[in-house]
Amino acid sequence: MTIAWQDEQKRLTPDDVQSASFPLSRLGRRGYDEEHVRAFLREVERELVTLLNEKVSLWNEVERLRRRILSGMKPGKDGGVLFGREDAHVHAVRILSNAQLTADRYVADAQAYSHRLTEEARSRRDEILTEAQRHADMVLAEAQSRAREAALATLNAPSVAPQMEADRSALKAELAYLRTFGEVYRTHLRAYTEGMLRSIAEWERSEAGAIEQASADAEAGGSFSLGHP
Amino acid sequence: MPRLRKANGVDARRLKDSFANIAMHGDEVPLFFYSDLFIRHPEVRDLFPVSMKAQRDHLVAALAKVISQVDRADELAVFLKGLGRDHRKFGVIAEHYDSVRDSLVETIAHFSGDAWTPELATDWTDAYSLIADIMLTAAKKDESTSPAFWQGTVLSCERKAFDIAVLQVRPEPRLDFTPGQSVAIESPARPRLWRYYSMANAPREDGTLEFHVRLIDGGAVSMALTHLQSAGSTLRLGPPVGVLTLDSTSGSDILMIGGSTGLAPLKAMIEQIATLPQPRKVHLFFFARTMDSLYDVRSLEKLAAEHDWLTVLAVATADPKFEGQTGSVADVVARSGSWTGREVYIAGPTEMVRETSERLISAGTPREQIHVEDFGWSEP
Repeated sequence: MTIAWQDEQKRLTPDDVQSASFPLSRLGRRGYDEEHVRAFLREVERELVTLLNEKVSLWNEVERLRRRILSGMKPGKDGGVLFGREDAHVHAVRILSNAQLTADRYVADAQAYSHRLTEEARSRRDEILTEAQRHADMVLAEAQSRAREAALATLNAPSVAPQMEADRSALKAELAYLRTFGEVYRTHLRAYTEGMLRSIAEWERSEAGAIEQASADAEAGGSFSLGHP
Repeated sequence: MPRLRKANGVDARRLKDSFANIAMHGDEVPLFFYSDLFIRHPEVRDLFPVSMKAQRDHLVAALAKVISQVDRADELAVFLKGLGRDHRKFGVIAEHYDSVRDSLVETIAHFSGDAWTPELATDWTDAYSLIADIMLTAAKKDESTSPAFWQGTVLSCERKAFDIAVLQVRPEPRLDFTPGQSVAIESPARPRLWRYYSMANAPREDGTLEFHVRLIDGGAVSMALTHLQSAGSTLRLGPPVGVLTLDSTSGSDILMIGGSTGLAPLKAMIEQIATLPQPRKVHLFFFARTMDSLYDVRSLEKLAAEHDWLTVLAVATADPKFEGQTGSVADVVARSGSWTGREVYIAGPTEMVRETSERLISAGTPREQIHVEDFGWSEP
């Protein structure tokens, strides 16, 4: 077999394929049908020609694109289909900058929300304390006045032995005062405390509800954003 | 400083013009800078907080200051040395300086457009090298005497009022400071966010530190410190900073005015005065909005009972139930006597500090006798 591409320096060309010749096998030995071999070689030659043509046209395309990049293609010109390395970097910087601004906004929103929440909690707490103080003052005043009345009633009750009875009835009056005062104060305090406990229970319930709602919202929000990359 | 004189070799005029030219683009400039830096060096992103808004403002402010003083090398050097030392606690190392230079030059080139020239590139690169050199040298020098940050273990976190917590923290290794100074604190719950807090004690034998933290509405770090701490949790502490310290050259009597947790540095100084052989007379005003925000009154009363040189007056400025004096801090102080001749120390909310010192100055106290905190440019 004589084909030039056996020479290490050279690559196989269509010509090599065309001019390839094979010595006939000696009589009595088996060999390929010559016509089949020729037909196959013609096909190989055609394929090689096609490949080489494609290679040249690709090379030309690469050259053309390279020249476009080197000539400083600005984005927008030529429809901005192709970016140089510089442009790609600037685009990456823009994308990251936008992502950062979004993150900044989320943090700022969360902070503003937490600010509003603590502010409201603080003023609500002040209101509750003021209200409790007012209520306590009222209860105290009422207990005092009711106790005074009870004491006066005891004092004005008819007396038997003037001096001793006077002392006794003064003591009784004081006792009545203290007892009534204590009773009224306890009753009010109990009512108030029970009221407070009720509102705490209600608060707990509504908070639990709000947290459930918020976590449901958060999950819904998560899948939503996945659907819209 | 031979290297600094070389800074004058950089064309200051040209740098200033160049900076003014790109500063027009506002927030776009630092935004581009950080994105460029993070794309080239993704590992650097971890040194910054999630939100970069405050960070960008700091960068622009620091750049503007450096550029405006580029021809006044000595003033600038003081600032840059502080900045270099300050950056250690953020985990900044020498390599980062080169990364920052590349992104900075890239950013300036990007926004300069056609005005970008090779000369300008050289100006910026040279100026940056000088700046980085001063910062790095200061940081290196600092390495031999102090760690980049201290690990703090929270020993206790006690809620003193609705919105105030007192933390006892043990730093590792020992952290030496002057009473009145502060450290920047970072909570692992809010990574890369540092806030200054004053030590509320004079150095103790066991080295522990006391911090008074007020919950700021919407405040990320104060929330983490007042509500998310328990004994055993850890914090990071920066090096001690601050100029609100006792002027030991003066023998005058002292007026201290503390608003809310502004009490902390004053309390530290009172503890320091108590150790002096001849304590100076101290008159302390402690202000808060409501009575229950006067969170430390009991320990102050105890101090006042122990030391005859100390007078404490606690005032709730806006509490109808409060039976003492009410009104603005400046008003109450002004009404309470003549304070000329006193050394004055004021700490608390910025507006209160400003208003009160203005009032004292107009009432005759010389400005240099009024001591307030100033962290300068080292805002964490």
